[in-house]
Amino acid sequence: MGNRLLWSLILFSTMIAPWAQAAEKTAIQVMHQGDPGFVAAYGKVAERFEAANPDIDVQFIYAPHDAYNEKFSAAVMAKQLPDVMELDAPFLANYVWSGYLQPIKPLIDKDLLDDMTESNIAQGTYPIDKDLYAIGLTDSSVVLYGNKKYLEAIGARIPKSVDDAWTREEFESYLEKLSKLDGVKWPIDTFRGYGIKTEWITYAYGPILQSAGCDLIDRKVWKSEGTLDSDACVDALAMMQKWVKNGWVVPQSAGTNQFFAEGNPAALALGGHWVYAEAAATMKDNIVVMPLPKFGAKGASPDGTWIWAITKTSKHPDISGKFISFLLKDKEFRAYVASQSGYPGLKSFAAESPLYADGGPMAIAFEQASKTAVARPPHPAYPTITSAFMQAVDEVFNGGDAKEALTSAAEKIDQDIEDNDGYPPFGDEQ
Amino acid sequence: MSDIALSIPQARAARPRSAARVLRTVQTVSIFIIALVIVSPLLLLVVASLKDDRFQILADMGSFRAFWVSNPTLSNYAEVGHLSGELAFGRYLINSLIILATTVCSGLIVNSMAGFVLAWGSLRGRGVILSVVIALYVIPQESIIMPLVIMVSRAGISDTFAVQIVPWIASPLYIFLFYQFFTQLPKELLEAAEMDGASFFRAYRSIFLPLSLPALATVSILMGIETWNQYLWPILVTQTDYARPIAVAIATFFGQDSIYWDRAMAASVLMMIPILGLYLAFQRWFVSSFIGSAVKG
Repeated sequence: MGNRLLWSLILFSTMIAPWAQAAEKTAIQVMHQGDPGFVAAYGKVAERFEAANPDIDVQFIYAPHDAYNEKFSAAVMAKQLPDVMELDAPFLANYVWSGYLQPIKPLIDKDLLDDMTESNIAQGTYPIDKDLYAIGLTDSSVVLYGNKKYLEAIGARIPKSVDDAWTREEFESYLEKLSKLDGVKWPIDTFRGYGIKTEWITYAYGPILQSAGCDLIDRKVWKSEGTLDSDACVDALAMMQKWVKNGWVVPQSAGTNQFFAEGNPAALALGGHWVYAEAAATMKDNIVVMPLPKFGAKGASPDGTWIWAITKTSKHPDISGKFISFLLKDKEFRAYVASQSGYPGLKSFAAESPLYADGGPMAIAFEQASKTAVARPPHPAYPTITSAFMQAVDEVFNGGDAKEALTSAAEKIDQDIEDNDGYPPFGDEQ
Repeated sequence: MSDIALSIPQARAARPRSAARVLRTVQTVSIFIIALVIVSPLLLLVVASLKDDRFQILADMGSFRAFWVSNPTLSNYAEVGHLSGELAFGRYLINSLIILATTVCSGLIVNSMAGFVLAWGSLRGRGVILSVVIALYVIPQESIIMPLVIMVSRAGISDTFAVQIVPWIASPLYIFLFYQFFTQLPKELLEAAEMDGASFFRAYRSIFLPLSLPALATVSILMGIETWNQYLWPILVTQTDYARPIAVAIATFFGQDSIYWDRAMAASVLMMIPILGLYLAFQRWFVSSFIGSAVKG
């Protein structure tokens, strides 16, 4: 009986106790997402950081991409926020407004701060106090990829710069011609396969609305009705619905790589900068990179990516800042990110990335950052904005009425802002 | 004339026999096709896990090539089978097995005891308690998940095996299932045991529990599947890989930008094996339980 009790106690304590933490070491917790390549890369950076700082223990908290916000909410409720957290740039305003993050400038190496591109500074800056709350090695963009063989077959004009982008008329006429071309199953892949659990729809399709002359929300008065449900937005979304109805767009069920899949069933791809590495590996010289088309008077492209912040509850902000600085400077980590066609957010990283330099295959993507990039609305209501917009797009792509769907989305967004008294001081700016 | 007269009944007898044969063939072919349709996703999963090119897996989808691999490799299994390191799926698999075994074993004991007490106990207000148990069943898990997160965090058991086991041991559904099963057994069994001097607990342990194999099998399988597929809860209450199950680990392969189908498929096959084993082990009683309830119902 005594033995049984002893074994029960041993078993119970094994189940209750987490791994014994290394005594005498100062531990910092880092919450992140990412695919296996990045997870492994972060682990190796931590090993090198710990080797250089033997008194520090870096503990990772991995949260799957599709459940990241739920994990974050649970961490907030359980008062278990990590020291360092990766966050998607457009959610920064919400996190700062909620009081979860602290200004990062005093904690990061100054040479890194001086090294940031304008777009990188913008994605980490809270618009109310203009302070920097997050920093990243990278930024992002979406371009129009083309299959050279198919484009030549229909006699399409290949733009050489952002100013030279296709107009809406050109773009739609090419889609129609491609739909009749032998070998083309779908004229364009808009990566619907990413679904509505990611930021993809707002990130990639939002600029189409902005280029068409409207937006997700009026950025002066922070009201969505009259903007998201305006004629320009309805027309833009109805245009995309037409592409889907015509069978021009790769369906969601076909996955996320039909542009560079075997046999190249899709002729064009409205894809993120990260698609280049995989596409170039299989398509070699048959790939052309073009700016996003102009759907109205001006062009628009997205920016912003996952960046690093330090939480207000961190007991070791100095060590957290030291780790982020180490990560962003780490040569091997940079080499890995470059191999994944990482879009530079630091000037020194841009210099190390011939892909994005003048004359490089992705130079147009980098050109978009300074000429057409439009950040997603930096407002605390952004989680509601993106969720409402994604639902509307999904509804329209499945045959719903564009006007009704956008009106409903605009109402949801305004209701959320009203429920939060305008998210002051955002409301005070009106 | 007589030949003709004899041949008519023979022809009539042959017709039903051949019709029966055709019917049997149609039935067999139909069953074969249905079985193929049911098994095909599993077959596709296994075949895809033996391909070493994630793009090829996607390219093959939608054609019969999805069910064929010309150069099978176990490299995906080798990659996901590690017991340590960043992608230690072997470790996650062991975690899942520990959580599964402990939850199901504890759940069988706790829920069967509760069901037995509700069925034959001399507890006052049994009817009210039973109504509460049934009422609890209709509360969706999503609505209590955040308060539960706060509770376990205040209890200081976050990031442990216990946090993934304890909240799910007692379940209104399984208590009700045991209750129903025990009430279908004759009360005379309990009375006979009591006359022989057996305690209430002894009657449960030595007579009623051994007779409830179909209920135990049903609960084991249902509870096992439920526990094995837990995804959101472990994400919310665990921080490190110490006690995280394999369902969370597989999500690593579904990144924002890329999906690693090859390794995801291999990990899914590994994840499928234990639960398939559990089902096969209890299948006989599980099926008899359903047949039994159908006949009695």
